[in-house]
Amino acid sequence: MSSETIFVLPGDRIDASLIPSHEKKPLRLGPGLRHVPPSDLVPTLAGQLVTDRQKNAIRVETANGRYIPRVGELVIGTVNKSAQEVYFVSLSDYTAPALLPQLSFESATKKTRPILLPGALVYARVTLANKHMDAELECVSASTGKADGLGPLVGGMLFTISLGMARLLMMPKKAQQGRLVVLDELADAGVQFETATGRNGRLWVDSDSTKAIIAVGRAVQETDEKSLGVDEQRRLVKRLIKELS
Amino acid sequence: MAPPAAELSHLPKADGSANFSFGGYTITAAVNGPVEAQRRDENPFEALVDVNVRPAAGVGGTAERQLEAILQPALRHLIAIRNFPRCVVQVTLQVMEAPENAYVNSKVMQPRLNLGIIPSLLHAAMLGLLTAAIPLNTVASATCLAITNATAGTTIKVDPSPTEIDQATSVHVLGFTAGRDLLIAESEGSFTAEEWDRVLQTAENVCCRGQETGNDAEMGGYGAESENVLQFMRSVLEAKAAESLHWR
Repeated sequence: MSSETIFVLPGDRIDASLIPSHEKKPLRLGPGLRHVPPSDLVPTLAGQLVTDRQKNAIRVETANGRYIPRVGELVIGTVNKSAQEVYFVSLSDYTAPALLPQLSFESATKKTRPILLPGALVYARVTLANKHMDAELECVSASTGKADGLGPLVGGMLFTISLGMARLLMMPKKAQQGRLVVLDELADAGVQFETATGRNGRLWVDSDSTKAIIAVGRAVQETDEKSLGVDEQRRLVKRLIKELS
Repeated sequence: MAPPAAELSHLPKADGSANFSFGGYTITAAVNGPVEAQRRDENPFEALVDVNVRPAAGVGGTAERQLEAILQPALRHLIAIRNFPRCVVQVTLQVMEAPENAYVNSKVMQPRLNLGIIPSLLHAAMLGLLTAAIPLNTVASATCLAITNATAGTTIKVDPSPTEIDQATSVHVLGFTAGRDLLIAESEGSFTAEEWDRVLQTAENVCCRGQETGNDAEMGGYGAESENVLQFMRSVLEAKAAESLHWR
């Protein structure tokens, strides 16, 4: 992680020293940046400019807003309806549904494909995100044919969180880097649950007891809304545990 | 005059929201988008921008529709609409507070254009769009100017009060992008071409002041009372980003 935090507004000039250069790797532009030919980089979002010199990448980091699909991201979608070959899956409210081919599940064939009813949840990867076309999803890795944890999510409940919190939950070391301990604390206190986070601001929680599901979901939502610190998260968990038992 | 104040992302259900108050006006902006456009309105090549101005009391009428018609093309220039075909970006601007004089009498008689409110509406919309993380080409700010003809000669007042607007011979609203391009130009009253040139010059200095370092001495003198809004927006957004991205 780079320690430099540069704040940019749309249309700002980016200092040339912040743009990484690498001998072999091409420069990768993340969200929030626009390339104006021949050689200008212009931010389009208000956020922190993040430079990754190892990957030769640069992006603008924001925590709010609506989810815009990007290739390779893991999302949780709700099945809206089923067509001949595809499921129409909603990733966020009031946006055009994404398409999930019915055969892109692990070991799915014409005869054995999962039947998903409207309202079913799927954990999927975005494979196509083009501004003129509907986004496309898959629940199986195209190269290996394995699901790798993707597929229908059975049972549990879905909670809506901000995009920044979703990103935080998907970080491998969220306790050290992100100061997010609420899930670890709940698990340490003996609550058994299972979660899946979608990059589109969705958190799926499953457990044997409905009480635990609601407690976990609400705890994350409260941490998100009030942007609680580590100590406040511990206090919140203690209070919830008392209410649970 | 009190410095501008703002509150960001205070509405939980909107994608982006902001409360902006300056010069007696308080505007709440709620921005949703990009969402799917209705079939009959959708444009296959670019996003629609839907601006909705709601007055402090009652329902919107022709005066609000005119404000929308002034703001909509300006916001269309700022938003990267070509990135989101068949989508719509909704900007709802609710007037929460207006200075005493602004609505009291004019509302009863007949709706008339209230130029003084346009800068606040634009700034609230900008903050809303920025918190909704909608890609923009650039940022912009606007200012209101009034020309008064007194015995001592004509004077240009930056950010006039409603009373000063009533007494003025002409009122102007000019908006500039951060790159010093003219975005909005609306005028009311009678004025000469020379006066217009002076107004244009003053407005550009007010809106774009402090954009480049080193020109400060030359630009002094134009109303220290009017805070540079672009710098203000940058500082509130920076504080918000630092808070929500504390884990970086």
